Amino acid sequence: MHIVVIGVNHQSAPIELRERLAFHPDDLPEAFARLRTDYGVQESLILSTCNRVEIYASVPDLSRTSDDLRSYLGRRGNVEKEALNTSIYRYAEPDSIAHLFSVASGLDSMVLGEGEILGQVKHAYERAKTHGATGKVLNVLFQKAINTAKAVRTQTAIGCGHASVGTLAVDLAEKIFGDLANQRVLLIGAGKIGELTLKHLLVRGMGEVKVMNRSPSRAQDLALAYGALPVSFLELDTQIAEADIVIASTSAAQAFLSASRVEQAMRLRRHRPLCLVDLGVPRNIENAVGALENVYLFNIDDLQGLLAYSVKTRQDAVAESRAIINQKAERFLAWWRSEAPCLNLSSAHAAAP
Amino acid sequence: MVLLHIVCMLLSYVAFLAAFVSGVLFLIQEYQLKHKRMGQLFHQLPSLDGLDRFNFLAISSGFALLSVGTLLGFIGTQLRIGEWWIGDSKEILTLGLWVWYLILWMVRLRSTLRGRRVALLSVLGFGFVLFTAVGASFLLSSVHPYEAVRQEVFAQPVQS
Repeated sequence: MHIVVIGVNHQSAPIELRERLAFHPDDLPEAFARLRTDYGVQESLILSTCNRVEIYASVPDLSRTSDDLRSYLGRRGNVEKEALNTSIYRYAEPDSIAHLFSVASGLDSMVLGEGEILGQVKHAYERAKTHGATGKVLNVLFQKAINTAKAVRTQTAIGCGHASVGTLAVDLAEKIFGDLANQRVLLIGAGKIGELTLKHLLVRGMGEVKVMNRSPSRAQDLALAYGALPVSFLELDTQIAEADIVIASTSAAQAFLSASRVEQAMRLRRHRPLCLVDLGVPRNIENAVGALENVYLFNIDDLQGLLAYSVKTRQDAVAESRAIINQKAERFLAWWRSEAPCLNLSSAHAAAP
Repeated sequence: MVLLHIVCMLLSYVAFLAAFVSGVLFLIQEYQLKHKRMGQLFHQLPSLDGLDRFNFLAISSGFALLSVGTLLGFIGTQLRIGEWWIGDSKEILTLGLWVWYLILWMVRLRSTLRGRRVALLSVLGFGFVLFTAVGASFLLSSVHPYEAVRQEVFAQPVQS
């Protein structure tokens, strides 16, 4: 009995290849059935996300089955053998187990330490389980993987800080306002980075969103796309007095939001806190604005400085995370080795009648 | 009456302590946001808005308790010795405290000041509370020694 993983990820294969190999949730029942009947795989699980496509399997014969699985993936995705051979990776225990634990913990992710992958691993496990594709070995393995990821995330700094300017800005806003559901956002300038930040804010659920742009047509487009309200540049002062979070990302040559202007707005808004995110280069908001009471200004340098700090914290946590992963992987291996003979026996019994 | 006076006063001190703690946390969090630092504490502290609202709640309830407690004190004095005011050091300090928190409460209610300054004032206010509650009994002569509090609070059930 062996535990194998075979697949591709964002490092080993380009997006075009990953797309072709990817499994749609609707394809899974058929895939699980084929793996069992055509390839003699006892237990299987498919993890298919935008950054990776992997098959985890418990197989009786290591070399034959892993060759079979590779050609199955290639045939299914219509990928030539050469292209597949250079980009696919295969691991058997103990590496396969450490690999899964690293994946679930976010160590193998494009953005180091991101937490989304853990949810995706859970989903993949639940799907395989409901389709009856997993058995005792993979059930325990994936439960251990999920536990390990949780341990790594709580015991190390791997998930600390932020992965992008957008999520960072959202977190800063949350640190000021708490719940963002009732906060009003004003987006000034309809550039790409501003739009991206707006997207991150909307994911967390925002109150009212307004978009202000020099060219009204682009503001209209954005407004339509995000259910926002387009407003005119002429209303700048009143709009700032009304908004809670202002994201400025215009390509204006000079800062158009001066300290005196914001000070006036603060009086109008009765000193309710105001979060200003300046993504413009050159800056859209005067630096002196940040010194005003109850005004929290973050410009692109502030955000990138905080991000660099996050990245470093996460990188520093890798070794510690690996130590936890290795320890948990060894513990799983010990269990699996002690159970393996019994499992073989029971599957032989199951196959007998 | 005296027991109720003591309980109200002590509870108002507790509320002002809560305002002090949330004020300190607010100042730490606001400093980190203003100076773009995200230390270990950053992720554990509640939001500024949450701290601000808790602070206001603590100030409001503390002020209400202080008002009731002070009033009970005056009435108690009137009933016992027939005078409203005996000019005790603690009486004067408590009145000062009452005025301080009245102003703080009004200022925050009307949003004349908000955020950092209110937090700072509630932190300073608690220094005043400490001086009134503890300092006055030891540093200045007062008819409000803690021995009396202890007797009043612990002896009450036996008496009644």
